[in-house]
Amino acid sequence: MTGEGSPPAAVAAPPGPLATLFQQALPGAQFEIVQTPLDETIVVQRDDLVRVMETACNHESLRFDFLRCLSGVDYITHMEVAYHLHSYSLQQSVGIKVRCPNDDLHVPTISHIWQAANWHERETHEMFGIVFDGHPDLRPLLTEEGLGYYPLRKSHPLAEIEEWQEDYVEAIARAKVSAQGAAGAAPAVDEKAAKIALAQKKAAAITKARDAARAKGLSPEDEKAAVQAAIKAVDEEEAAAAPAAAAPPPPVDERAAKIALAQKKAALITKTRNEARARGLSPEDERLAVAEALKKLAEEDAAAPPAAPAPAAAPPVQDRAAKIALAQKKAALITKTRNEARARGLSPEDERQVVAEALKKLAEEETGG
Amino acid sequence: MATDFLRPAEHELETVDININVGPQHPATHGVFRMVLTVDGELVTDLDPVIGYMHRGNEKLPENCDYRQVIGYHDRTDYLGQFNTEHCYVEAVERLGGLTAPERAEYIRVILAELNRIASHLMFMGAFGTDIGLSGTSFMYAFRDRETIQDFFEEITGERMMYNYFRPGGVAWDVPDDFKERCRQVVAAIKRGLDDLDGLLTKNEVVLARCRGLGPVSREDAINWGITGPMLRATGFQHDIRKAEPYSIYDRFDFDVPVGSHGDVYDRLTVRFEEIRQSVRIVEQALEQMPEGPFMAEGMKRILRVPPGEIYMRVEGPRGEYGIYLVSTGTDRPYRHKVRGASFCNLSALRAMSVGHYVADVITILGSIDIVLCEVDR
Repeated sequence: MTGEGSPPAAVAAPPGPLATLFQQALPGAQFEIVQTPLDETIVVQRDDLVRVMETACNHESLRFDFLRCLSGVDYITHMEVAYHLHSYSLQQSVGIKVRCPNDDLHVPTISHIWQAANWHERETHEMFGIVFDGHPDLRPLLTEEGLGYYPLRKSHPLAEIEEWQEDYVEAIARAKVSAQGAAGAAPAVDEKAAKIALAQKKAAAITKARDAARAKGLSPEDEKAAVQAAIKAVDEEEAAAAPAAAAPPPPVDERAAKIALAQKKAALITKTRNEARARGLSPEDERLAVAEALKKLAEEDAAAPPAAPAPAAAPPVQDRAAKIALAQKKAALITKTRNEARARGLSPEDERQVVAEALKKLAEEETGG
Repeated sequence: MATDFLRPAEHELETVDININVGPQHPATHGVFRMVLTVDGELVTDLDPVIGYMHRGNEKLPENCDYRQVIGYHDRTDYLGQFNTEHCYVEAVERLGGLTAPERAEYIRVILAELNRIASHLMFMGAFGTDIGLSGTSFMYAFRDRETIQDFFEEITGERMMYNYFRPGGVAWDVPDDFKERCRQVVAAIKRGLDDLDGLLTKNEVVLARCRGLGPVSREDAINWGITGPMLRATGFQHDIRKAEPYSIYDRFDFDVPVGSHGDVYDRLTVRFEEIRQSVRIVEQALEQMPEGPFMAEGMKRILRVPPGEIYMRVEGPRGEYGIYLVSTGTDRPYRHKVRGASFCNLSALRAMSVGHYVADVITILGSIDIVLCEVDR
């Protein structure tokens, strides 16, 4: 959730040429100027909005005939609707903003002035819960009807993944536990698992509180308050339980253990599969056999946690040198045989045969020696 | 046949409205878009557009990403004008954060954005041809040339669709050494191919019969509905953000703003053809002027923090005005990030344009808007 950050401080700025025009056209209306890098922006009173907008559209020195954009913004302390206007004939742009308190989210519609506002207001209504009084058709536009919450409000979390993907999260948690069990490591206090558990707990609390609130027929605002109270309760509970958690044990070499386990498993799978195929089992039985073998391995591992991984066998330096020598020998033999064959004018097929035979002989010599 | 006795008398007949759902899974709706048509015979008496099938929270997600991670989400709004959307976003961040991109980066951006506009218009030509029954020939011609552009973009960015290449302060990495040479090849291919497409579409009898005089919009209505881009220019109103409020380095190029005269479907088609030619002109000039130098501003921090403030940045996308309302509170993430999709606003006028036309013509009108549903639903 991005709740951080305070709303940008309204930078007091001297009225620009457009703001002066607005003030002349609308004596008595209150304006507040906000500095932005591109357009002059004016904050107006909600009660003046329709008057200001009608003047902006029709006044001869303003003539803002094009509503570019209409956006809602949730500043937590209040909501804001920003209108961006452009005048094609006078080539000027202005931003007009109106604020409304959280407990009275009503703004008069301007869709009768610019038809373009119609869909923008519908969208802002469904995303922020701002009601545009007088709008001809405030059905939700992008979301389904009866959603029950307002997605773009800051109080709405980005995605309660746990809420709609419970199975997925559970599967991850289970896989982690079993992996730890299989690796033989003491089930340490896994921070991530704890976080997931907490998130699940919270999500469950949110769902419960929301359902209860809806069952009671509370307003969206009261519902929000109830949900927040539920989240707070969970937090407090966690905070109380926190000291009980033991400090995490010093980390063992988890990675090496994991790799070793994976290698062991892979070897076992290959072995079991080959055996099964040799016995002519059906694919289903083969899979079953593999699964059983893996299960047995997990049980064995859990019963006898492996000691620290034994130091690897003597470094295979000699091995490597021998291999290189052999490869060089082979390469030399191939070149030699091939050249001889070509000198004898053999066909490519025969040439290949001769080379293969020479290699075979070499291999026999090697194993014999 | 002796069925006369089964036929009800005149006074027993009742006239009812019939609703037809077009979409959401219908090739003529260009994505997942549904229209509920109320028809009286073949005549459409009412139309209710149903959108939102592609809504992915493209305004909510950036509030939880830092300023660089947001760029990828812009590719996924208007997925046919990706460079144009990225251009809008990086300009917004740069203006709000007081950054300037080096000259070379500006030229790279303009060249790629204009080629992207051409690719998008080619896509429109292809799809529009099938909408009015040219059964694929237009697609073949258009995609042959679009493919050269796609290949060119892939050589530069490594991606065919989701480029994620522009950065606040420049571009992600420099273009390949043979950039200018390859770009000239691409431009030559476009010029050659465009004549084929022009010959196929603009003087085609089917196109003329089906598009001329269809769905006209007056200039006043278009402005009131918030219609922008080629659809607005088709009404004869000469307005282009690249000319009227030049951003980036568009004030350095010499190009015309093509306009139509009637605001009908045919004008929307011809305006787009002319726009391709003008974009080619811009690309050619930019290639001539493009300097060597750095591609990224110096002293860019890994985590970008933008000073508190707000901006409504707009660019001329292929479909019209693409705008971003960006509010910053001084953190590393946007506080509010509103996207004004051009086709969102253009589509809102669909009902006004379509009522009173035949069902088949409504498909043509919808095609002429050139909607991108990912931009509509965000």
